[in-house]
Amino acid sequence: MEPLSDQELIQEVREGKRRAYTELMHRYQERVYWVARRIVGGHEDADDVTQETFVKAFLALGEFRGDSSFFTWLYRIAVNLSLNTIRKRQVLSYLHESELLGRFLPSHDDPSERVEQEETATLLERAIAQLPEKQRAVFVLRYHDELSYEEIAKILKTSIGGLKANYFHALRKVREHLRNEIETGKGPDHRKE
Amino acid sequence: MKLRLEKGRIIERNEEEMAAEVRRLEQSDPPKAAHPPTDAYWQNLIIRTNARIDEATSGKALSLSWAWRVAIPGVFAIVSFLIGVHYYVPGQPDERVTVASVLSTLPSAAIDSLLLDPSQIEPTLSVTEIGGEMFDFSREQIADYLAVNGNTSAAADGLTEKEKDEIFALLETHAGVE
Repeated sequence: MEPLSDQELIQEVREGKRRAYTELMHRYQERVYWVARRIVGGHEDADDVTQETFVKAFLALGEFRGDSSFFTWLYRIAVNLSLNTIRKRQVLSYLHESELLGRFLPSHDDPSERVEQEETATLLERAIAQLPEKQRAVFVLRYHDELSYEEIAKILKTSIGGLKANYFHALRKVREHLRNEIETGKGPDHRKE
Repeated sequence: MKLRLEKGRIIERNEEEMAAEVRRLEQSDPPKAAHPPTDAYWQNLIIRTNARIDEATSGKALSLSWAWRVAIPGVFAIVSFLIGVHYYVPGQPDERVTVASVLSTLPSAAIDSLLLDPSQIEPTLSVTEIGGEMFDFSREQIADYLAVNGNTSAAADGLTEKEKDEIFALLETHAGVE
C-alpha cells in the first residue's frame, strides 16, 4: 500500500485523526531535531524545540494553506523557535552577568554541565556556536541540510542575495575556527590525550 | 551583466571550495562525538510531544490562551480608552457655564437670602437634602433674581449666543427691560 502524502495526512488530521499527526511526526522528527540541535548547540534545548515545533504546528495546522511544502513550513517554525531559544539564552546570560540582577535569578547554568557540553560538542558544533544567529541558521540549512537558496529564502523569509552573503561569511568563519582549533591542538587529537 | 554573472560564478566556486575544506576539516573529528540520540529516544519523543499537544488542547489551556491573547488585551484596551476619554478628550471646555457657576459669582449675602427663602426650603428637610436642593430653582426664579441682584454682564461672558438670548428674553419679560 502506498504511503499517504503529507497533504493527505494533513487532511486526515484536520478531520480529527490524531494518528495521522503521529505519522507526520515520525516522518520529520529527526530532521527537525537535528536542525534545532545544530542551531541551539545542545541536546536539551533541541529536544524542547522539537516538541514545541510539533505542538505549534498542530495548533496552527488550520492556517497551513499549502503554499509551500509541509516540511518547509515545519522548518520555519523550528528555525524560529531555535533562534528564540538562543536569544532567550543570551538575555538570561546577560542578566546573570549583572551582579544586581543575577542574585534574584535562579541558577541557570551548572558549570559541570557546561564543561561536559563543551567536551562532547564536535569541532564543527563549536565552530557553529561562534556564528551570529542569522548566519548560524543559514549555515545549518545550507551546509547540513543542503537546501537550495530558494527553499532557505522561503523558510527564513529573506532575500536570496542576503542569504548568499550570510552563507559565505559563515563558511569563512567556520573554516577559520576549525583551522585555528586544529592548529592550536584544541581539536580532536587534543581531546584524545 | 556579463561581469555580474562572472562575479557570481567566482563566489559560487569560492563557496564550494570553502564548503569542501570545512567538510575535510570536520572529518578530522570522530563522528561518535556528536552523540546522536538512541532509537528509544525517538519513540519517547513522540509520546512526550503527544502529551504536550493534549495539554495544549485541553480546555484549561485554551481558556488560558484565550485569556492571554484576547481577553486581557481587550480589557486593557477598553480601560485605556475610557481613561483617555475621561482625561484627554479635546475640545471640552474646562469650565462649562452652569446655573451653579453663575450663582457662584453672586455675593454670598444674596445666595443666603435665596437659601433662606421659605418657599424653597421645607422645615422638615435635613442638611443633606437641603444640599441636594440648593440649586434646584426654576428658570423664572433665577431670572428674577438676576434681574434684581446679578452681575449679568460677567455671567453672560461664558454663555453661548443661544443661552444669552434665552436669558435676556427672560430678563426682559420679568424685569420689563426695553
